[in-house]
Amino acid sequence: MNVTVAASAPKRSNLHQRGSWWERHQRTLSPYLFIAPFYILFFVFFLGPVLFAILLSFQSWNGIDPMHFVGLDNFTELATDPVLRKTLVNTAVYSGASLFVISPLSFLLAVALNAGMVRGKGLLRTIYFTPIVTSSVAIAIVFLVLYNQRSGLFNQVLSALGSEPINWLGSRDWSKVAVLGLMTWRWMGFNAIYFLAGLQTIPVSLYEAAVVDGANQWQSFRHITIPMLRPVILFVAVIVLIGSAQIFEEPYMLTSGGPVDSSLSISNYLYRVGMQYLRLGYASSVGFLLFVIIFFFSWLQMRLFGVFQED
Amino acid sequence: MSNRWNFIYATLLHLLLLTGALLTLLPFLWMVLGSFKTTTEIFRLPLVFLPQEWYFQNYIDLFVTRPFAGWYRNSGVIAFVQTLAVLFFSSLAGFGFGKYEFRGRGFLFTVLIASMIIPFGVILIPLYVLVNKLGMLDTYAALIMPFMAPAFGIFMMKQFMSSIPSELLDAARIDGSSEFGIYWRIVVPLLRPALGALAVFTFLGAWNSFLWPLIILRDIGRYTLPVGLATLQALGGGGAKTEYGMILAGATLVSLPVITLFLLMQRQFIAGLTLGSVKG
Repeated sequence: MNVTVAASAPKRSNLHQRGSWWERHQRTLSPYLFIAPFYILFFVFFLGPVLFAILLSFQSWNGIDPMHFVGLDNFTELATDPVLRKTLVNTAVYSGASLFVISPLSFLLAVALNAGMVRGKGLLRTIYFTPIVTSSVAIAIVFLVLYNQRSGLFNQVLSALGSEPINWLGSRDWSKVAVLGLMTWRWMGFNAIYFLAGLQTIPVSLYEAAVVDGANQWQSFRHITIPMLRPVILFVAVIVLIGSAQIFEEPYMLTSGGPVDSSLSISNYLYRVGMQYLRLGYASSVGFLLFVIIFFFSWLQMRLFGVFQED
Repeated sequence: MSNRWNFIYATLLHLLLLTGALLTLLPFLWMVLGSFKTTTEIFRLPLVFLPQEWYFQNYIDLFVTRPFAGWYRNSGVIAFVQTLAVLFFSSLAGFGFGKYEFRGRGFLFTVLIASMIIPFGVILIPLYVLVNKLGMLDTYAALIMPFMAPAFGIFMMKQFMSSIPSELLDAARIDGSSEFGIYWRIVVPLLRPALGALAVFTFLGAWNSFLWPLIILRDIGRYTLPVGLATLQALGGGGAKTEYGMILAGATLVSLPVITLFLLMQRQFIAGLTLGSVKG
């Protein structure tokens, strides 16, 4: 009884002190508490897994039996795996087309949507931007119907024009084109959002000055629009590359990567190796390869566009 | 001459833009119209644009013979909870980074930015192993928790933080407000437009998310909409047995809420997207 009273008295004053201590220090400590959730989740669900992935890439493991160390075997397999080589080519086609076909189309779309004479801009913009918000799975199913060889709309239009039907999803020559068709539909308007926002930051006075100096429309475009948009072009190039290099859903839904892996992307292969073949070690090394590729090409783009020189 | 060329140019431009817009709308139209056709009618030659008879059975089948209502609820709950969590953690950390000077700030922020360049594929397998070991397969927590405090969201909120005058925060401190009180009563209300943008993104991302739920969810009753739709399609094997009429009805119902959300919040969506790209 006595003990309890004796113990509780100092405890109370301690508590009081702690309150004032917190009041004195909350300004220094609060920022750490505010950012703590990110770092806790980062350690558990990100850094931990990254480190574990490094470990895994030197192991052979099916997720159930004990893992065993295989040294660099997974990495030598990367170099010789013929399916992986195919996925690298396919993914390069997806990324290349995204950068050099889809993005320029987005750019032209943005320029067109920004032109002063165009009527109904708001509505057009909304229409072009809508594809990106819809589920790629849902829309891939619609494209499955449209690409149907016998009675899909695309082939019906082709045959009405007197052309032979195309085996969009079942032939090695066309499977990537079919995937790219869906990618173009989904991403063209999305990239245009960035270009359009960039175009709108260019002061009109620059163009007015150019007109006074006798520049024609093409010269204004070439010497004002393009240079002013350089940072936006770089930004879009980087996000398009990062996104397209990781493409998963479009080939997964349309062709399952087929036929004969002709449309299989790196991410599709990673999923197949890891989740279907249960080769967790090798799948981890494929993941690192994907990282290295994305990192290298993003860096290259930034070099080429000279952002480092400007700083 | 110039007038005539301008007219031709304008006409061509409008024609191109209009054609593009129609091509963009076409899959949506095909989806909605197909959802009111029987699967036979969808593939019957010659193709018909409008259904000969509006067939509502596709929608009924989804809810009666398939656990579509459950998937809808799952997707809704997950997207809603994830959005709330992302808004809270992102704005709180964005406030921490944007309005305080503290030791290690530069280093910690660099770590946060660096984490954005690592593709999801790198951690896909180990994250699955971790979730499995924690006994979290088939749980919504496994879908939400890893993405609750996204680096991108924190970065975005930090950018917006500069629009809030620091004097306002100091005034609240003099009035005796706690630091969290400042966040809750001053920062959050002022961040409302930015939070709106982040909310639209997060909700869309969570609603449409496919790869991670595909890996984590095993029990068909716990599926989200994209995983459920993909399963309906895969069950038919893409062949004659695939019930495209019903699946298109599903696709329509999956797209409806996000398109509505986008139409309502278009301004916020675009403002959020372009932050950081233009004069970032």
